[in-house]
Amino acid sequence: MDGSALSSRRDFLRQTQNADGGWGYFPGKRSWLEPTVYAMLALQEDKAATKGFELIQSWSLPAGGWRTSAEVSEPNWTSALCLTAYVARDIRDEAFERGLARVLGTVGAEGSFAMEITQFLNPAIVEFDNRVQGWPWRPNNASWVEPTVHSVIALKKAAKLPGGSRHLLSIRARIGSAERMLMNRRCDDGGWNYGNSRVWSRVLPSYPETTGIALLGLQNRSSKELEPSLITAEKYWRETQSPLAKAWLTIALRNLGARIEPTAEPVTIRPSQDILVAALQCLGEPDGGHHFLRTDGVPA
Amino acid sequence: MMKRRDMIPLTALGAVGAYAATRRVKHRVIPDRPSPVAVMKAGTYEADLTGQLARGIAECGLDVRGKKVLLKPNLVEFDAATCINTDARVVAAAVEVFERMGASEVLIGEGPGHRRDTWDLAEQAGYRSIIPNFDRRFTDLNRDDVALVKSFIDGEDMFFSTTVLRADLIVSLAKMKTHHWAGATLSMKNFFGLVPGSVYGWPKNQLHFFGIDESIIALHRVFGSKSFAIVDGIIGMEGNGPIQGSPKPVGVLVMGRDLVAVDSTCCRIMGLIPEKLSYLTNSSYGNLTTDGIQQRGEQVIQVTQSFQVLPAFRHLLAS
Repeated sequence: MDGSALSSRRDFLRQTQNADGGWGYFPGKRSWLEPTVYAMLALQEDKAATKGFELIQSWSLPAGGWRTSAEVSEPNWTSALCLTAYVARDIRDEAFERGLARVLGTVGAEGSFAMEITQFLNPAIVEFDNRVQGWPWRPNNASWVEPTVHSVIALKKAAKLPGGSRHLLSIRARIGSAERMLMNRRCDDGGWNYGNSRVWSRVLPSYPETTGIALLGLQNRSSKELEPSLITAEKYWRETQSPLAKAWLTIALRNLGARIEPTAEPVTIRPSQDILVAALQCLGEPDGGHHFLRTDGVPA
Repeated sequence: MMKRRDMIPLTALGAVGAYAATRRVKHRVIPDRPSPVAVMKAGTYEADLTGQLARGIAECGLDVRGKKVLLKPNLVEFDAATCINTDARVVAAAVEVFERMGASEVLIGEGPGHRRDTWDLAEQAGYRSIIPNFDRRFTDLNRDDVALVKSFIDGEDMFFSTTVLRADLIVSLAKMKTHHWAGATLSMKNFFGLVPGSVYGWPKNQLHFFGIDESIIALHRVFGSKSFAIVDGIIGMEGNGPIQGSPKPVGVLVMGRDLVAVDSTCCRIMGLIPEKLSYLTNSSYGNLTTDGIQQRGEQVIQVTQSFQVLPAFRHLLAS
């Protein structure tokens, strides 16, 4: 994608912003947190981004976290994205603190008695280490790859903030467990799917999009550990036809220092006019904002 | 030695189990009249699918004039080596038939459980190239606007796509497959794709925590009365379904207004005992037994193919 493609995608985002400042997943749809966060990051200093961030701020909940959408008042996995958005804007207020506490306090159901006994009675149903927990899509559900990665990125960024040490011990513990969980859920082919590498003793394949996302959560692991995954990710990057997968893989590989060859693909917004994809495609550009999802390790 | 801390979840589990037993519907409402279920032969996807669908739907007495129809195919993953999804040619034929029958609008919607790029999946599965005006018709139900349905299950409310809620008729265009959690996935289990991932995730893990059978039953209770089922059994899937199983040619399209009757008929065609599938026996209404089903088209015995199942589901096999 050349500069004009980045520019046209940003124009598309500006044109599709809702009156409330947010973005839906598709033009004309009501605002959701996920596309709003990524569109806001993609537009960086643009006034449309500021308006988007103001909507996010207005969705902060007194008990911690943020609304999921204009319609869905309860918080879910998308609250972690807000922490990343706040750090990108360099804003640390009470809403951020409440959100941080909420994300830190949300944990996957692994290790619960019900899951322990299910695995004990039938270990072949799903084969993963029940002692390590990440984050669920919704509170009280099991841990899955994608919500875990979003929370890991958010917490790593929060840990680097001045005064972040107040939560440092719990952040470090949660990230350690989450990274182990991600490594444990890695598929035999080196990539990741949604989070089960085996079901009924059968090996499951990975997916391109979740492989890219998982690598973002593991940016600070050793290159030796990630070597098979990087090979798989680069293969997926060359072969995938999914614009969403390509965008996630591009962001991940750029942040991991891989060389991304420019592609000769035509500059088109897909027929569905997918706002999330357009925002992620912007972030994948050299100057598009992929650094918002780059992490360092947690301070010792 | 068990610690007190461990006793709490144990007690909770017991309570949950006891509650789950009571919340199951003990007395399914049986319709006053037998439910018509049409079993139409279609040896291949090149057969006259439009004609067979039109005849089958007419046999079931469905009137869609002036109605907004939402087709809900089973679009899960794509693997060129097997047959995971409702075939695009069946969906295309259904579009044509419902338009000819006078539906005011024929839309298509799906919310896959694992894959986030639904449009790419539709592209790979041939939907965009085979189904006329696909881009205009299609809604990704995982990322649509949503509205609340009160007391979906256990008193808990649940969000659903507004495209689903506004439809006058939902057509569950399912695939005839075995399923590694539920035993078989047919028209009722296909409704998992109505649940929005943007709220509940990929996978829609909340449904697993409610209980897979309980969720199928609740989805049927909420949407069953405005639904029609068409099951693509031209080539089904046996063994480790719904994704990694093997193609199983059966050569039928099974349809009807009573989803319990359609799914139990499909089970019999697959060589499974429907009375052993909890979500069928505990569904809130519908005809499960053969004496409550008015068979149209082919006789079940003439098209039965014994499906292979995973060892955990051998108890479902009729022989």
